[in-house]
Amino acid sequence: MIRRLLIANRGEIALRIIRACREIGIETVAVYSDADRAAAHTLAADRAIGIGPAAASESYLSIPKLIDAARAAGADAVHPGYGFLSENAAFAEACALAGLVFVGPPPSALARMGDKIEARRVAADAGAPIVPGETPEDQSDAGVQRAIEHLGLPVLVKAAGGGGGKGMREVHDARDVVGLVQTARREALAAFGNGTLYIERIVPAARHVEVQVIADHHGGIAHLFERECSVQRRHQKVIEESPSPALTASDPALRARMTAAAVAAARAVGYRNAGTVEFLVDQDAGAFYFLEMNTRLQVEHGVTEAVTGIDLVRAQLLVASGERLPWAQEAVTARGHAIEARVYAEDPARGFVPQAGRLLLYREPRMPGVRIDSGVVEGGDVPVQYDPLIAKVIASAETRPLAIARLAAALRAFPILGVRTNVEFLIQILEHPRFQAGTVDTAFLDREAASFVRSEEAPDFVRRAALERPSAIGHQPSDISGWDPWQA
Amino acid sequence: MGPVAGVTRIGDGVFRVDVDGRSEIVYVTGPPGDRWAFWNGRTYRWTGAHRETEAGSGSRRRHIAARMEITAPMPAKIVAIKVREGETVKSGDTLVVLEAMKMELPVQSPSDGRVRAISCREGDLVPGDAILVELE
Repeated sequence: MIRRLLIANRGEIALRIIRACREIGIETVAVYSDADRAAAHTLAADRAIGIGPAAASESYLSIPKLIDAARAAGADAVHPGYGFLSENAAFAEACALAGLVFVGPPPSALARMGDKIEARRVAADAGAPIVPGETPEDQSDAGVQRAIEHLGLPVLVKAAGGGGGKGMREVHDARDVVGLVQTARREALAAFGNGTLYIERIVPAARHVEVQVIADHHGGIAHLFERECSVQRRHQKVIEESPSPALTASDPALRARMTAAAVAAARAVGYRNAGTVEFLVDQDAGAFYFLEMNTRLQVEHGVTEAVTGIDLVRAQLLVASGERLPWAQEAVTARGHAIEARVYAEDPARGFVPQAGRLLLYREPRMPGVRIDSGVVEGGDVPVQYDPLIAKVIASAETRPLAIARLAAALRAFPILGVRTNVEFLIQILEHPRFQAGTVDTAFLDREAASFVRSEEAPDFVRRAALERPSAIGHQPSDISGWDPWQA
Repeated sequence: MGPVAGVTRIGDGVFRVDVDGRSEIVYVTGPPGDRWAFWNGRTYRWTGAHRETEAGSGSRRRHIAARMEITAPMPAKIVAIKVREGETVKSGDTLVVLEAMKMELPVQSPSDGRVRAISCREGDLVPGDAILVELE
């Protein structure tokens, strides 16, 4: 069994992993950049090691610094979390060379699924349907343009090097092709160091449905059902839930076919540990297509934990330690409904630009059936250098409508002040008739978000309260006379 | 009761406000000139009525209201400048394209106007709040 685990990450996921380790008696080692000296994850671990400057490229993305830190701390294993180096085959290899257990799949599986073009091949060979598409041999602007013309507009230009919406552009108009191809290539190069592009046909009214899988080192493999993440803004997930409304409304055989395809694709690359196979579902046609495999723990793993009652991080640690999966496929069941909302430091009124700053007031609600995974505290900072995720709020209940109502109630009772957040925007989505009907596709938010009207004007009673002495952290000992919110 | 009628402080930064016989909970924080409030999932912010910024290194001050400065929302790289000095722009037009957090972010004009000055160059790395474009 792993004895001492280095967590090569920060924020809420580092805290989530620390919690699992505490429960099963594994010592934890946090790493922190100069910007995170006083961050919640730095303080929560059994020990913490500084790994350099705030810029991620010189700290959380530095393989030598992380390996040195693991050695210095006497760690015997490394958990990469999500993002940063979690899907980096070179990092997994460096861990192996240093005699450290990497809590994730083998480097070969990371490399093959990390190349999104190779991943399509693997999935197709394993019998999973893939979105019709092309990889241009000639990667010049003209070459990519010819491939797009051959496939026919509209298309999605995607990066071979990775996902997450980076290096990805929808092309609807022939006049935009060259500009969008250049933008996608620039983004892909910056994000993945690989400017190779491929093209997929756009699946109309597609639903994003993904299957959680986990495999041990003894041939054991299981799926933990699906999550639907169709509420996306520019290909970034905003709300995730399980079970999927798209599958619940479809032929029951579709879920069985998709989970089987996910397990087959994972088996085909010799997958180990937790991973997620993403699909697009064309509900009208009753069809599904392999999109990509995420070779790590997902941000939204808590949704699956809420409906299955399984601790995925604990399962990851057991599997990485060489143990068998702690349950057989038949023993995995799902109950009720769970929905997660991602609370971001961003300003919906200004094009969702990421926000940074001090959390002058931050109070998480405590309610039955609501789980909040966060990596911040009141008085702490949201640094500019990293992903602006503040917290994940996961509500579970017997039915989907009850879970939606519970999540909205939790968000209404979750004050975060000092930086702009998307909390009101999330509530608006949850209350949208189409979301409540379970018929939202992946284009919904980009199409409708502009119509969400925000109420700028504060009610009189809020203005009255705002005249009072504020919270201790936000209060500065200066005279507030001469400042009048009625005039503001 | 607090200094304001019908407002009771019930915790650090937490107030109960009487509203027509029912009560609402409002959270309040921030110094004068940058006050924040939260109620029922909604956030409100009041910044000073006449916000002023230092101009250059001198002590000359100017009102933002006189003309509009479009600033970088965060540290970023200038990928492209989409307008020229003197050009008229409409609300929603893309002025500058930034790259930050490995994503490209278009900076759009918040209103109709004319480009008075461009204060950045393609390829520049700019800090958060750096002035990119001045409109009038």
